[in-house]
Amino acid sequence: MSYRDRIAAALDEGCRFAGLYANGEIVRSVLVARDGLLRHESVAAEDGRVPTIVDLTPAAAWDEREAADLYGIRFDGHEPLRPLVEHDLDLKTWTVPVHGDDTYQVAVGPIHAGVIESGHFRFHVVGDKILHVDARLFYKHRGLERAAEGQTLAEGRAYVQRACAACAVSNSVAYAHACEELLGLQPDAELARVRTVLLELERAWSHLNDIAAVCAGAGLAAGNTFFAALTERARRLNERLTGHRFLFDSVQVGGSALALDAPAVAAAREELASIAADSKRGWRELLFNGSFQDRLPDIGVVSADDARSLGAVGPAARASGVGDDVRSYSTRLAYHGFVPVAPRRLAGDVQARLEQRAVELLQTFDLLDDLLDRSIGPAEAVAGSGSAAIGLGLVESPRGATLCAVEHADGAVARVHLRTGSYANWPVVAHAAAGNLLPDFPLINKSFELCYACADR
Amino acid sequence: MLTLLRNLRRIRTDVGLPAPTRGRSLAVRHVDAGSCNGCEHELTLAMSPYEDVQRYGFGIVASPRHADVLLVTGTVTTRMREPLLAAYNAMPEPRRVIALGDCALARGVLAADTEIVGPVEALLPVDLRIPGCPPSPPTITQALLELHDAGVTMR
Repeated sequence: MSYRDRIAAALDEGCRFAGLYANGEIVRSVLVARDGLLRHESVAAEDGRVPTIVDLTPAAAWDEREAADLYGIRFDGHEPLRPLVEHDLDLKTWTVPVHGDDTYQVAVGPIHAGVIESGHFRFHVVGDKILHVDARLFYKHRGLERAAEGQTLAEGRAYVQRACAACAVSNSVAYAHACEELLGLQPDAELARVRTVLLELERAWSHLNDIAAVCAGAGLAAGNTFFAALTERARRLNERLTGHRFLFDSVQVGGSALALDAPAVAAAREELASIAADSKRGWRELLFNGSFQDRLPDIGVVSADDARSLGAVGPAARASGVGDDVRSYSTRLAYHGFVPVAPRRLAGDVQARLEQRAVELLQTFDLLDDLLDRSIGPAEAVAGSGSAAIGLGLVESPRGATLCAVEHADGAVARVHLRTGSYANWPVVAHAAAGNLLPDFPLINKSFELCYACADR
Repeated sequence: MLTLLRNLRRIRTDVGLPAPTRGRSLAVRHVDAGSCNGCEHELTLAMSPYEDVQRYGFGIVASPRHADVLLVTGTVTTRMREPLLAAYNAMPEPRRVIALGDCALARGVLAADTEIVGPVEALLPVDLRIPGCPPSPPTITQALLELHDAGVTMR
C-alpha cells in the first residue's frame, strides 16, 4: 500500500492524526488509535517530494508547511503550500487572498499590548467583522530541535523542557516516554505516580492562570485578581515540592530523584484542598456574574466536525464535544480508570471552553488528592518489552495532546520532534475567529490560551 | 462580586505588603524577544495581590511611546531583532533597558546559533540585568525599585 493509502486506511479505522515530521529525506506521520496505541507511517522523498495527506486530514496542514520550510520537502497536492516558519518572504506568499468591497487588513503584533508572547496576526476584515485570520507565529523560533541533535538522550530533555515554561512537565514527560520506548524501559508504579502528580500540578496552575486570563479578556478585574492569586499559591506550592515554581528539572529520563516525606505530602494535600475550595468559591462568583457571563456565549464557535477535522485537542476540543483525552489510555502513567469530564454544554464557544477548564480543574484537584495519599520516593524505569527504533510519547498537557518523537544514533539524539497541544490548536483559533467581531478576538484567543513558545520552539 | 472583592481584601491583610515610602512612577513596556514564556508568567504574577508591583506606581503600558523602560525577556531571535529595535526607537528619552531572565543575559541559553542574535546587550544598552530562570515576582519588584531609585538619585 502506498503511504497515502496507509494513512487513509488508518484514518478509516478511527485513528487520529497526531503529528508529522521530516528526518532528512524521510517524512513520518504519527497516528493514534482509539485505544491510544501510537503508530507511524513513513515515506521517503523522491526528488524532495512526497504526496500530501492534508486532503485526508486537514490537521496535518501546519506540520507539512513546517517540514517544507525547515527540511525542503515538497508536498504534492498541498496547494498552495504557504510558508509557515519561513519569514523572509513577501506578504502575498503567506496570506490568504481576501477580495470584496471594503475589505482591508489589520496587522497586529508581533509585539502585543500587554505582557504577551510575540506573534503576528493578520486580520482580513470588513468593518469590524473578521473574514479570515492568518496567524503568523515562529517569531520565537530558536531551533531547539536542531540544537538538541547530538546531545545524549538525558541531555536532550532540557531542550524540550525549555521549549515552554508553561508546558515544561508535559513536554519533558512526553520526551522521557519516547526515550524510554527507545531503550525498552517501562516506568515502575512509583515513577508513573510521581510523573502523574507533576503533570497534574502543572495542569492546576495552568488552568487557574487561564481562567484568570479569560476574566482579564472580558474586563473583570476582580475575577482576574482572584484567580491570579490562586495561580501564585499553586506556583509557590510547586516550589516547595520540587524547588522550582514551574517544576523545572523534576522530570528525568529513566527515573525520578524526587523524594517527599509524609508530612511534606500531607501539607501539599492540605494546601491543594484549600486552593480547590477557593477555586470553587471564585468559580461560583463568575457563574453568577451576569455582565461577565453575557460576554461569553456564541462567540468563537468551533463545531464538533470542525474540531475533529482541524485536529483540535484538549479542553478546547472537549468543549466542542470531541471527547478524546490522552489520560484515558496513558499506560505509562497512573491514571487508572480515568474518565474525562463531560462538558455541560457542547456549544464550542468561549463560555464552553472556560467551563470545561473550570470543571477539569476540579477533577485535577481530586486526582491530586488521591495521588498524594503517601510519601513520594525515588523511582526508576525498568526493563520492559524491548526497544524500538523510533520512540513516541503522547501526554495530555493542559492545552491538549502533546506528542514527542525521538530517534537516536548510539545513544545520542538524532532527531527530536515536539508537537504540543498549542501547536495543534493554533489553526483552530484562527478558524474560531472568522465570522466574529475584531474586538472579540482577544477573548476568543484567551479562551484557548495557547503558548507561542512551544509552537515556535 | 462582593465575595471576590472581600477575598482580595483578605489577601491584602494577610500578606501585609509594606506601603510604598514615597511616590514613584515608572511606565514599563515589555517585549518578548524569544523567551520560553516563563518570564512572562512571572512578570504577570508580579501584578498579583501577593506582590502588587503597581503599588509603587509601576505599570505595564501598551505602547513604547508611553514607556520609560523597555523590559526585554528571552534571548533575541533573528526574527525579533527588527521588532525589538523598532520598539526601542519609538521610546521617548530618557529611556532605560532591562534584560529580564537568564536567556536575555546569555546565561545557559538553549538554541541553534543560526536562529539567535544574542543577548539583549548585543543590540541595546542594558541598564539593569535581572538574572533567574525565571526571576520570581519579588525579584522583579526589587529590581524595578532599584532602577527607579538609582535614577532618582542621579537627578
